[in-house]
Amino acid sequence: MSKRRLKKLFSKIVGEDNCWIEEEILASYSYDSYPEEPVLPDIVVRPTHTEQIGEIISLCNKMEIPLTVRGAGTNLSGGTVPLKGGCVLVTTALNRIIEINKDDMFARVEPGVVTQKLANAVEKIGLLYPPDPASMKVSTIGGNVAENSGGLRALKYGVTDRYVMEVKFYDVDGNLVKGGGIPVKLVTGFNLKGLMISSEGLLGVISEVMLRLIPPPQARKTLLIFFDDVIDASSVVSEIILNRILPATLEIMDNFTIKTVEKFHKIGLPNKDALLLIEVDGHPAALEDEYEKIEKICKKYGGEVHIAKSQTERDKLWQARRDALSSLAMLKPTLILEDATVPRSKVPDMMRIIQDVAKKYNLLIGTFGHAGDGNLHPTILTDKRDKEEMERVYQAIDEIFYRTLELGGTLSGEHGIGIAKKKYLEKEIGTGTLKFYQKLKRGLDPKGILNPGKVI
Amino acid sequence: MSRKLKKIVDRLKELESLTLQCMKCGVCQSVCPLYQKDFFEPSVARGKISLIEALYYGRMENAPGVLKYLDYCILCGRCKRFCPSSVNIDEIFVRAKGIVREIEGLPLYQKVLLKSLIGKSNFVTTFQPIVSAGFKLVSKPSKADEEIREVEFPIKKNVVSIKSRSFNTIYGGFHKAKNEKLRVIFYPGCAISYMYIDWGKAVVDVLNHFGVSVYVPKKNKCCGIPAATMGDVELYKKMVKINHDWFETINDAEYIITACPTCEYGLFDLGKRIAGIDSNKKHMDIMIFLKKILNIEFSKKLNKRATLHIPCHYEHEFDSDLIDELGAFNSDFQPLENQSCCGFGGTFSLKFPNDSKEVGNPKMKEVKDKDFEILYSPCPGCVMQLTDLAMHDGIDVKVEHPIVEVYRLLKEDGI
Ligand SMILES: Cc1cc2nc3c(=O)[nH]c(=O)nc-3n(C[C@H](O)[C@H](O)[C@H](O)COP(=O)(O)OP(=O)(O)OC[C@H]3O[C@@H](n4cnc5c(N)ncnc54)[C@H](O)[C@@H]3O)c2cc1C
Ligand code: SF4
Ligand code: SF4
Repeated sequence: MSKRRLKKLFSKIVGEDNCWIEEEILASYSYDSYPEEPVLPDIVVRPTHTEQIGEIISLCNKMEIPLTVRGAGTNLSGGTVPLKGGCVLVTTALNRIIEINKDDMFARVEPGVVTQKLANAVEKIGLLYPPDPASMKVSTIGGNVAENSGGLRALKYGVTDRYVMEVKFYDVDGNLVKGGGIPVKLVTGFNLKGLMISSEGLLGVISEVMLRLIPPPQARKTLLIFFDDVIDASSVVSEIILNRILPATLEIMDNFTIKTVEKFHKIGLPNKDALLLIEVDGHPAALEDEYEKIEKICKKYGGEVHIAKSQTERDKLWQARRDALSSLAMLKPTLILEDATVPRSKVPDMMRIIQDVAKKYNLLIGTFGHAGDGNLHPTILTDKRDKEEMERVYQAIDEIFYRTLELGGTLSGEHGIGIAKKKYLEKEIGTGTLKFYQKLKRGLDPKGILNPGKVI
Repeated sequence: MSRKLKKIVDRLKELESLTLQCMKCGVCQSVCPLYQKDFFEPSVARGKISLIEALYYGRMENAPGVLKYLDYCILCGRCKRFCPSSVNIDEIFVRAKGIVREIEGLPLYQKVLLKSLIGKSNFVTTFQPIVSAGFKLVSKPSKADEEIREVEFPIKKNVVSIKSRSFNTIYGGFHKAKNEKLRVIFYPGCAISYMYIDWGKAVVDVLNHFGVSVYVPKKNKCCGIPAATMGDVELYKKMVKINHDWFETINDAEYIITACPTCEYGLFDLGKRIAGIDSNKKHMDIMIFLKKILNIEFSKKLNKRATLHIPCHYEHEFDSDLIDELGAFNSDFQPLENQSCCGFGGTFSLKFPNDSKEVGNPKMKEVKDKDFEILYSPCPGCVMQLTDLAMHDGIDVKVEHPIVEVYRLLKEDGI
């Protein structure tokens, strides 16, 4: 179909000002935060009312136009690249916070609401929306649900799915479907809200989400601990959990990352093999007890403990972790952020494996991440113009993944499958499960218009 | 591929090492005043950088289409300031625009405007009385303030009247302080030369009062930023060089003082990266010079509800110094919560008047809601924009450069 005709069709739904066929707009919606080859769609459509989603999706289905939904486009697995062209549906104009209910502690939002904006609005009335992906200043709630995003507080508070009470979405025929609801106990019918979590735009388009809110913790305590050996640091992680302490945050950083942060930001980090950033929160009395136990464990492994006594000091301790990704990014032109996740008792093994792989393939890899839940981010620094090195990069990624699976881990702790990890999926979930995914997909989207080429 | 396009692609490739540094993380979305307004990817740095790449990797061919979105940018630099990968975004934009413009050609009106207003410094000085008289004819005085006049640009705008004699014709030359401690150059820039002449006077008199002798250029020479934003990179480089050459002729001046952060940015920060020219003299904003070098203290405290808009091009390492300084002479002072851009962007506000207003409006809403009486901003562009927005919405707030207040306080003490 000609682009002009496409424009005419979609204009009838969203108006001329909200759909584009100009090359420069198409090129602006051809990529996301994963460094894959961009692909231009044929049209970009930006609904301004959620009902328009239904009309767009049924038009696409009728005309067999591939449809890729896009929030902020910050996913790290190629999920919003319109591999088969067609239509990119941008949710950024669907950005109303419909309701924040203080008494029943929930919020209802449109899919394009930016996570940070919701978090701020909720904080204003004295509540907390815990999921805090590092991209929350820009990521959308729709994207968070479709990727089941986690964050720095996930160890204690869980990831997005724990907070989703209800999801409304449109199926390929343009019907509005509702999964979940307000009651805490609810078993009426299938768990459709669960179906939309981690669906990566393959099963329907989310039009509204209801999210659970909680009262914020009364107090918190922040520690930064340096270790002479990254393996000691990893052992501390396991031992803290064994002692039944659940910190809100338990982050690790390896020597390469520490050195890189220091190189670019000069915040006075010592040249140690690893550091842990730990934050415990809750009732002040319980906090003191947990904190003492943690300190003891750290000292047992030779850790050098620093504690924050004020907000400014807390900010200082957090600085190294906040600067980790950006410092690594400055080292080389291309950064590939991986997401291998292992059972937390296997964190020491995983740290060792990554070091070995870096040596074996002669690559720069900095590792940091959410040690507490076994979710590490080995970050490969390279230059995509260097074909020979890129070859080694792909081999290294393969090896990291296969070793992760051997340790009983998973391909993706939080970044999703998309294009990036599609080829490893069967190995992790097995042929039977993959077939089930495919049947589910065929049943819900017989013409395969929703985000084709991804995940399965 | 047409020959023209091939030429553009070849030249744009020069920028590859700069654009590659962008990891497409999207963080710039959260700080870009245009993205925050229209949530549209081509508005933000990540989108614009991707468009440049799409051109030179051959994914698209429409160079003027890319130029359109390079132009749709305030060049506020907020994306660069908060970019986790420290991508040299402003440099990419200016150089890319320059390349496409050079080959596609500059629109005629911009050519005339640039060559006459910027390239030849005495054009304005010579014709200033005529321009000023003409200006009075086409505009009518605004109700609130005699100095400010309403003109019908693309949209109605309240602007400061252009004076019949420039700051440089009145103040050009050397102003020796009585108990001389130190010598500096004051670079006024176009806005202070032709419109905010009183600010220039305030700078010179205050500096003299504290024992600082001041050199003022006899002729104003534009810093070149308007040329850079329009894509005439060669003219921009030329202006940076002309100014630096003049600075070098004055051996005994230790500092170059500015009262316009955009001039300072154009002459030094961006100037260094694009024109490759550096100065062995230190440069500093007047307010920071008063606080950090002269350590001046204030005895008088003003008791009006006052606030501050920090200009995007301000040297942000000194933000907290500026806040402390204003707090020192205003007892009821509190900076604005809204830290975004005012929306001015020089030529941007002429090309996109409505977008420019929309960017600034939330800021003025805060000023109104919190009932501020004075809104300080140490930048002529910001003051121009914020004054216009205030008058447009009938918000009763005085917008001014803090140096004017400092001068007033000192005069009350009898300097
Ligand atoms: C610097 C950086 C840090 C990051 N940190 C984290 C982190 O700490 N934790 C984490 O989990 N992730 C992180 N991410 C990844 C990413 O930000 C998250 O996956 C986020 O949830 C994506 O949101 P988005 O709005 O950008 O979604 P997009 O990238 O636009 O979309 C993601 C997927 O969701 C689908 N989708 C989007 N909206 C809808 C909808 N309305 N209905 C159906 N499907 C939809 C898309 O089709 C796509 O498959 C990070 C990314 C970056 C660049
Ligand atoms: S913040 Fe910087 S690195 Fe990230 S997308 Fe924007 S320009 Fe690129
Ligand atoms: S310079 Fe300002 S307006 Fe332009 S892209 Fe960057 S943040 Fe946006």
